[in-house]
Amino acid sequence: MFSAVEILDAKTKDKLCFLDKVEPNATIGEIKSMFHKSHPQWYPTRQSIRLDAKGKSLKDEDVLQHLPVGTTATFYFRDLGAQISWVTVFLTEYMGPLVLYLMFYFRVPFIYAAKYDFTTSKHWVVHLACMCHSFHFVKRLLETLFVHRFSHGTMPLRNIFKNCTYYWGFAAWMAYYINHPLYTPPIYGEQQIRLALVLFLFCQIGNFSIHIALRNLRPPGSKTRKIPYPTKNPFTWIFLLVSCPNYTYELGAWLGFTLMTQCLPVAFFTLVGFIQMTVWAKGKHRSYLKEFRDYPPLRSPILPFIL
Amino acid sequence: MKTTHGDVAARKKKGPGALATAYLVIYNVVMTAGWLVIAVGLVRAYLARGSYHGLYYSIEKPLKFFQTGALLEVLSRVFLTWAVTHSVREVRRRLLFYFHFEIIIGYSFNTSSWLNPLRYTFFFALYPMGVSGELLTIYAALPHVQKTGLYSVTLPNKYNFSFDYHGFLILAMVSYIPLFPQLYFHMIRQRKKVLGHVEDYSKVE
Repeated sequence: MFSAVEILDAKTKDKLCFLDKVEPNATIGEIKSMFHKSHPQWYPTRQSIRLDAKGKSLKDEDVLQHLPVGTTATFYFRDLGAQISWVTVFLTEYMGPLVLYLMFYFRVPFIYAAKYDFTTSKHWVVHLACMCHSFHFVKRLLETLFVHRFSHGTMPLRNIFKNCTYYWGFAAWMAYYINHPLYTPPIYGEQQIRLALVLFLFCQIGNFSIHIALRNLRPPGSKTRKIPYPTKNPFTWIFLLVSCPNYTYELGAWLGFTLMTQCLPVAFFTLVGFIQMTVWAKGKHRSYLKEFRDYPPLRSPILPFIL
Repeated sequence: MKTTHGDVAARKKKGPGALATAYLVIYNVVMTAGWLVIAVGLVRAYLARGSYHGLYYSIEKPLKFFQTGALLEVLSRVFLTWAVTHSVREVRRRLLFYFHFEIIIGYSFNTSSWLNPLRYTFFFALYPMGVSGELLTIYAALPHVQKTGLYSVTLPNKYNFSFDYHGFLILAMVSYIPLFPQLYFHMIRQRKKVLGHVEDYSKVE
């Protein structure tokens, strides 16, 4: 007993494709592959297939016979535009800050006055800052390759330009001042730098612990969603109070870096990042609440009890 | 794209609510009145003094008040008045002419949608005039900004931050190149839409 599938354009309602003899237990993902054959320019990751022209996208895992359709299913198609993999975007956007900062640190020609070319700063905090900044982005690159389990394979291509402008732009702006020949070290000297370093390292470990905990919620290759809980690792106990402690720790790390360098552009970067992460955290918190009846009520999205 | 009578009627219902419309009308009436006050004040001050000197100070207070109101609508106009003319005396005269002419025309058109055909057609000339007025004003202010280091911060300082207002103004001028065509063509599209509706209504009658 086969089903038939017709795919219409969501905007014009034109009939784009008719598939007869589709197995009832076929998934949306398989239907996307079939559609791709008749329209080679629309590879599966750029297809959005819906039951309703203006409705939500169906998931690749959804099975045809479990959907509210008759023997001939009518789906609506929207082109999501050129796609790029999350991994590619992350690697590119993080490579930039790593490389650019080092160029400023080594005072590559044409950045500062020629007499400073390839000199090094006389302030030891500048060397420490370079190590911290580089460590942060190497950590991010390694996590992208070995730790994170992404829900989505791809995102719109234009995101890579937007994201790289943000990360690369801010990295260059910060690095310019920290590695400048006229850089002024922190007012409270060693005390301030030591406190900042402790905060920074604490939050790097914390952020990494959360990433590992989130990874372990999800078996390899799966896209399941579960409520995260504190584990034996004390850095994860913050899950008691916060839905997205990875962002909480990330904020803490950049506050540490701001304190360490006493640099206004770093403070701006921290602020903008905090605003963006708060938006993400609130969204994530909301979907947790929607999906899980028994979601712990004590948790806030990003800052315990506050936000 | 064909529109039936039903479509036009449906679109009519979707417009801004009563409260929003009232706010817009009052806002635009107040703005028109305000700018008229300033224009009248200018003329009177000029007549009294017989020259352009000190003209700015005579309307500074109401000017500042209505500028802040205009911030809601057109950010670039506020930037121009506050940042450039507030500090750069030589440029104020030139600014006043371009600026107020455009603003008065603009706001008086906003008071009634019936004036839309006029408004959307006049802008063809007013936009380029306004933009060239702004660009000329900024350009004239550049030497003064460079000489005095206005709004600029240099290294070293304890915040490890610097800002070059002169460079920023040049960047602002350059940004007009991509921005102005976008704004202009957006207005053209809006005009087609709005005046297109007017034609539909008259056809239906």
